[in-house]
Amino acid sequence: MSNKVSFPYLGHVIVYKKFLQMMGFEVIMPPAPTQKTIDLGVKYSPEFACIPFKMLMGNYIEACELGANTIISSGGHGPCRAGFYGEVHQRILRQMGYDVNFIIFDSPKRDLFGTIKKFFKIKNKQSISKMVKVSKVVFPVLKDLDTFEKKIHTMIPYEINKGQSLEVWREIYKIYDEVYSQKELLEARAEGHRMIDSIKLRKVNDDEKIKIGIVGEIFVVIEPSINMDVENLLCSLGCEAERSLYLSEWVEHNIFGEKHEKTIQDLGEKYIEILIGGHAKTTVGNIVDFKNRGFDGIIHLMPFGCLPELVSQSVIPKITSDHDIPVLTLSIDEQTGKSNNLTRIEAFIDLIRNKKTKEKVFSGGKK
Amino acid sequence: MKDVYIGVDVGSVSINVVAIDGSNELLYKYYSRTNGQPLEMIKHGLNSLKNEVGSDINVLGVGTTGSGRQLAGVMIGADIVKNEITAHAVATTNEHPDVHTIFEIGGQDSKIIVIKDQMVVDFAMNTVCAAGTGSFLDHQSERLKVPIEQFGDLALTSDVNVRIAGRCTVFAESDMIAKQQYGFSKPDIIMGLCRALVRNYINNLGRGKKLNPPYVFQGGVAANKGIIKAFQEEVKSAVFVPKHFNVMGAIGAAILSKEYIEKNDVKTKFRGFSSLKTNFVPSSFTCNGCSNNCEVIKVESNGQIIAMWGDRCGKWSQSVCYVG
Repeated sequence: MSNKVSFPYLGHVIVYKKFLQMMGFEVIMPPAPTQKTIDLGVKYSPEFACIPFKMLMGNYIEACELGANTIISSGGHGPCRAGFYGEVHQRILRQMGYDVNFIIFDSPKRDLFGTIKKFFKIKNKQSISKMVKVSKVVFPVLKDLDTFEKKIHTMIPYEINKGQSLEVWREIYKIYDEVYSQKELLEARAEGHRMIDSIKLRKVNDDEKIKIGIVGEIFVVIEPSINMDVENLLCSLGCEAERSLYLSEWVEHNIFGEKHEKTIQDLGEKYIEILIGGHAKTTVGNIVDFKNRGFDGIIHLMPFGCLPELVSQSVIPKITSDHDIPVLTLSIDEQTGKSNNLTRIEAFIDLIRNKKTKEKVFSGGKK
Repeated sequence: MKDVYIGVDVGSVSINVVAIDGSNELLYKYYSRTNGQPLEMIKHGLNSLKNEVGSDINVLGVGTTGSGRQLAGVMIGADIVKNEITAHAVATTNEHPDVHTIFEIGGQDSKIIVIKDQMVVDFAMNTVCAAGTGSFLDHQSERLKVPIEQFGDLALTSDVNVRIAGRCTVFAESDMIAKQQYGFSKPDIIMGLCRALVRNYINNLGRGKKLNPPYVFQGGVAANKGIIKAFQEEVKSAVFVPKHFNVMGAIGAAILSKEYIEKNDVKTKFRGFSSLKTNFVPSSFTCNGCSNNCEVIKVESNGQIIAMWGDRCGKWSQSVCYVG
C-alpha cells in the first residue's frame, strides 16, 4: 500500500505540502477548516478536550475521507496534554474504521532513537543531499511567506484602495504555491516585493499608529479559521497587528536551534519561573517583548480551558501594572459567533486609542 | 424646533431608546423588552419618542449600541455605531465624572468597567456563564413564583443570611432547592440569591482588578434593591445607581453621536421617522466563494439591498454602497 500523507491544517500549509511532495510522497491536502471541520471534530472528540484538539480531529477525519493513510504531526513536550494528542487522534480514527498511521515528532531529547527512525521515514529513501536541497527551497518559502504576511498586516489599516493589500497577499500566496526551485524562489520573491510596493498607502504619523501584538497558544494564534481571523479584524479596525508566533520562527528555534525564542522565554522568566507546558512562558515573555518594541496593546488568545494559558492569564495583571501595557484575554472555543468578542475588541481599541491620545475621543470615527 | 440626539441600545433582553438635548439632558426614554422582535420594538420606540417629544423635533444625530447595534444602525441610519462598553462608560462619566468602577448587569451579559480620569482603563465582560446576569434572576423568579419586579423589595425584608452557591446556575439552583426544603422563607432565599449573584460577578469579572470607589451600578438589574444591598455589603462602600440606570447604554450612544457630529461638522444620516414605515427584511446566506463559508447577513428594503456584512473578504460588504 502506498503512503498517502497528510498533516494538520495550520498556517501556511502549502509549505508542508511542498516539502513532502518534493521528497516524493503522495500528498493528500487537508481541506481548509470550515464549520463542517469543527462539527466533525466536536462530534468525535472527548468533550473536555481543547479546541485545537477538536479542530485537528475534524481536520484529520476530512483528510482520511480523501484517502490519507499517514499523518505527520508534531508532539509536544512539558506537561501540556498536547503531547498525547497524536496518539489519541490515531486511536479515535482507528475506532472510526480508518486505517491510519501517525508519525509524531517529539522532542529528540526525550527519544533520540525514535526521532531518528521517524526522520528516516520522512526521508522516504531519498538521499540526504536531496533532503537538504529540498529544505533549501521550502524553508525560504515559509520564511518569505511569514515576512510578507507580517508586512501586509502593517499596511491594511492605511491602504487607500480598501481590500487591495489582502488581494496582493492572496496573489503572493498563489505565486509561492508554484515555487519548486531556487530560480522560481528568487523570481517569486522579486515579484512579491514589487506587488507589495505597488500598494498605495495613506500617510499616517507614527504617533497616530496603533500596534497590537497577538500572543497565546500556538494553534489559536496562527490559525485564522478558529481565531475570528483576528489579525485582519484588528486591521479592519484601523490597527497594525503582529503575532508572537510565526511558523518559520518556530522551525528556526526547534530545528535550527535559533536563540530568539530563548530570549523571549528569559523575558518571561520573571513571571513564570518553570516550564509549565504549552506556550505560557513564551506568552508572558512576548507581552514584555512587544511592549519593549513599542506596541500599544496585546490580545491574548487561549483555547477555553487551556491550563498553561490560564496560568499566564492570571499573571497578566501584574505584567500590565509593571509595564503599563493593556492586555485583553479572549478564550476561544467552538462557538463561531464573534459579536461578543468583537464588542470586547472594539472597546479595547477605544481604550488604547484614548490612552494614546490622552484625550476623550470616544467617537473617534465611524465604525 | 427642538434639537435632539437619539441613542438606541439593542440588547439581548431589552430595547432602549432615548433622546437628549444639546446639553446631554434626557428628554425622553423608552425601555421595553425585545419580546423576540427587536426591529418592531425599535420602530415602536422611535414612534413613541416622536409622539412624546413633539412633532417639531429636529434630529441632529443618532447613535446605536448593544449586541444588535449593526442592524439597528443600518435601519435607522446611525451616525455612530459603538460597542456597549464604551457607550456605558461615556454615559456614566457624564453623570458621575469622578466614577472609578462601573458595575453593569444586563440580561445576558455583565461587565465591570474601570475608569481613571474619565477614561476606560480596563474592563471585563462575563465570558461563558450566565450565573452573574439578569437572566439568572429571571429564571429563579419564575421558579419561586415571585414577579421579578417584586424581587428587590422582598429581598430587603430578609433577616436571615442564607448562603447559596453562586458559581454556576445549575449549582445555585440545586442549592436553592435544598435551602427551600430546609424551610427558609422566600425573602431569605431571594436575598441569598442576590448575594450569590454579586459574589459570582465579583469573582468572575473582578479577578485581578483593583476596584476603587466611587462605585456606580447600572443596567436593568440595578432596579433590584436586593442586588444593590448585596453590592454594598460586598465592596463595603456606597454604590450609586444613576437616575436612568436602565438606559445608560442608549444615553452613551446619543452622547457619542453628538460628539461625532459636532467634531466632524457633518449632517446626520438619520433616515427620518417616516422611513420607519418601510419594511426591513434581514436574511442570511452562506457564501460558497471560498472555503471560509462565511455567514453573510443581508438587509433589504423595498427589494433593494441596503447593507451586507459578515464576509471576511469584503466581497459582499463592499458591493453595497451606503444609501443614506
